[in-house]
Amino acid sequence: MKTKPILALSGIFILTALLAVFLFFYGDIGFTSSDKLVLWQLRFPKIVVALLAGGLLATAGLLLQVFFQNPLAGPDLLGINAGASLGVAIAIMGASYLPAQLGLISLPLMAMIGALAVFFLLAFLVQKNFSRISLIILGLLIASFTASFVSVLVNMSPSLQVKNFLMWSMGSFQGVPLEEVPMFFTLAIFGIILLAFLPKKLNQFIIGENYAKSMGVNVSSFKNILILVCSFLVAVVTAFCGPVGFIGIIAPHMARTLIKRSDIRWVMPAVFLIGSSLALFTEVVLIFAGNYSLATNSILGLIGAPVIAVYLYKERRTL
Amino acid sequence: MIQFSNLAVGFNGKVHLSNLNGVIEEGKLIALMGINGAGKSCLLKTLTGLNPAISGDININSQAFNEISALEMAKAIAVVLTDKIHVDFLKVEELISLGRSPHTNFWGDLEKTDNQVLGDIVDLLKIDSIYDRFFSDLSDGQKQKVLLARALVQNPKFLFLDEPTTFLDIPSKIELMKILKIISRDKKVGVLFSTHDFELVKNIVDSIWLLDSEGCLHKKSPDEMIQSGLLTTNFNI
Repeated sequence: MKTKPILALSGIFILTALLAVFLFFYGDIGFTSSDKLVLWQLRFPKIVVALLAGGLLATAGLLLQVFFQNPLAGPDLLGINAGASLGVAIAIMGASYLPAQLGLISLPLMAMIGALAVFFLLAFLVQKNFSRISLIILGLLIASFTASFVSVLVNMSPSLQVKNFLMWSMGSFQGVPLEEVPMFFTLAIFGIILLAFLPKKLNQFIIGENYAKSMGVNVSSFKNILILVCSFLVAVVTAFCGPVGFIGIIAPHMARTLIKRSDIRWVMPAVFLIGSSLALFTEVVLIFAGNYSLATNSILGLIGAPVIAVYLYKERRTL
Repeated sequence: MIQFSNLAVGFNGKVHLSNLNGVIEEGKLIALMGINGAGKSCLLKTLTGLNPAISGDININSQAFNEISALEMAKAIAVVLTDKIHVDFLKVEELISLGRSPHTNFWGDLEKTDNQVLGDIVDLLKIDSIYDRFFSDLSDGQKQKVLLARALVQNPKFLFLDEPTTFLDIPSKIELMKILKIISRDKKVGVLFSTHDFELVKNIVDSIWLLDSEGCLHKKSPDEMIQSGLLTTNFNI
């Protein structure tokens, strides 16, 4: 039987749309609220942020998995998340050392600087033919270095700033203030435009660097582009939503399993929409678990860890 | 034709073989032989432009390799490598179509002519029965044919294959040789492949290139190769 990827993709699209519509009309007090202020100033921004952030994180994961030819790669892996976290930690807990006129923008700005610092290091090492495995280990090193650095900062900081940082580090799609949503939206759309340039070369790259080169791809510059785009996506999302885990690793697997193709032109939109759906789904869970103040990352961990475990088991022969 | 003189090849700037000379003409079928470690793959990767030459001249239709864009190169030279392809849900159709990518637009859409080329090659290799299957589910012989099809739809003037017969059973080996002969003779493609199997290739190829353990490249017809005794000294056959 021929499975049509268009059917699966439409299904994923409808699921995403349903989740978004549900979140728009359903809230803590059921379907009753028709207050325009609540709908457009509270729920609508939250839905837009979750849609874009989830989608971009998932696609960043897809890019990393193609880049490393490793199905277990995710955005946390390269240490880009960690770099962004360190930037944010400095922005929140070292606020007194930063120029005061930065104001609101200091948080996303510092996240970007942190992510870019890691990314420049990675780009430099890729240029020097640093191996994929070494890059992953370096990512782990960066993560543990930044964790240590952050704990030093935590020890030296007043409790209010520590609380702010911990709130951010739990990850949330609701934490973006209304006045920052347009900036997030612009950066995210720019990210999506960047992604539109990649599918053909990703398809050539997917069967291996040598084959890609033999089909006319300038492999070393394409690898740099991949790292650049990926760092940008992760930095944007992390700056505004905190370090959100798991979406980047599991969305590509779920998408491929549903689409049953490897063609990036089908897989990429599916990955994006599944990332969006996962993000929206955590928001739905948060509404129903309203009394227990769950963190987004805990919900994603509860879904994500078993999904990865099942994947590892199913693919134990090829991994 | 691809022409090289005073060529030195190797990895990471370290010279493995030097002072190599030769010509690959369109329409000729050449087998590259040599014991393991003689540098067959290294030479092959340099002749395809995948690895840069360390020194010496190498050009295609009198244009130096390093003056041609990667895309122009892709339209002239195609490869079948020993690299393993592990991609989930990769359809045979998708993999073969990728071979058209140097000729397609920004999105990689297949035009009428692309589909025509695909159809011709699928007919030639008789692989329409596996066209809709997943690559990972195929046997080694089928995989090799699909990889060959991907290279052929690239419409190359030259085709290079790195040990294409290694994992095949005997009927598949013979079938592959026949296909390579058709490609070189009828489609006027210059074909060079590395192999260990002299008995298999001796009645089919136009010439044999033998890399001896000293790093010297001998080029002779199969008959001359037997008479020269080089095979005995290098392979004990």
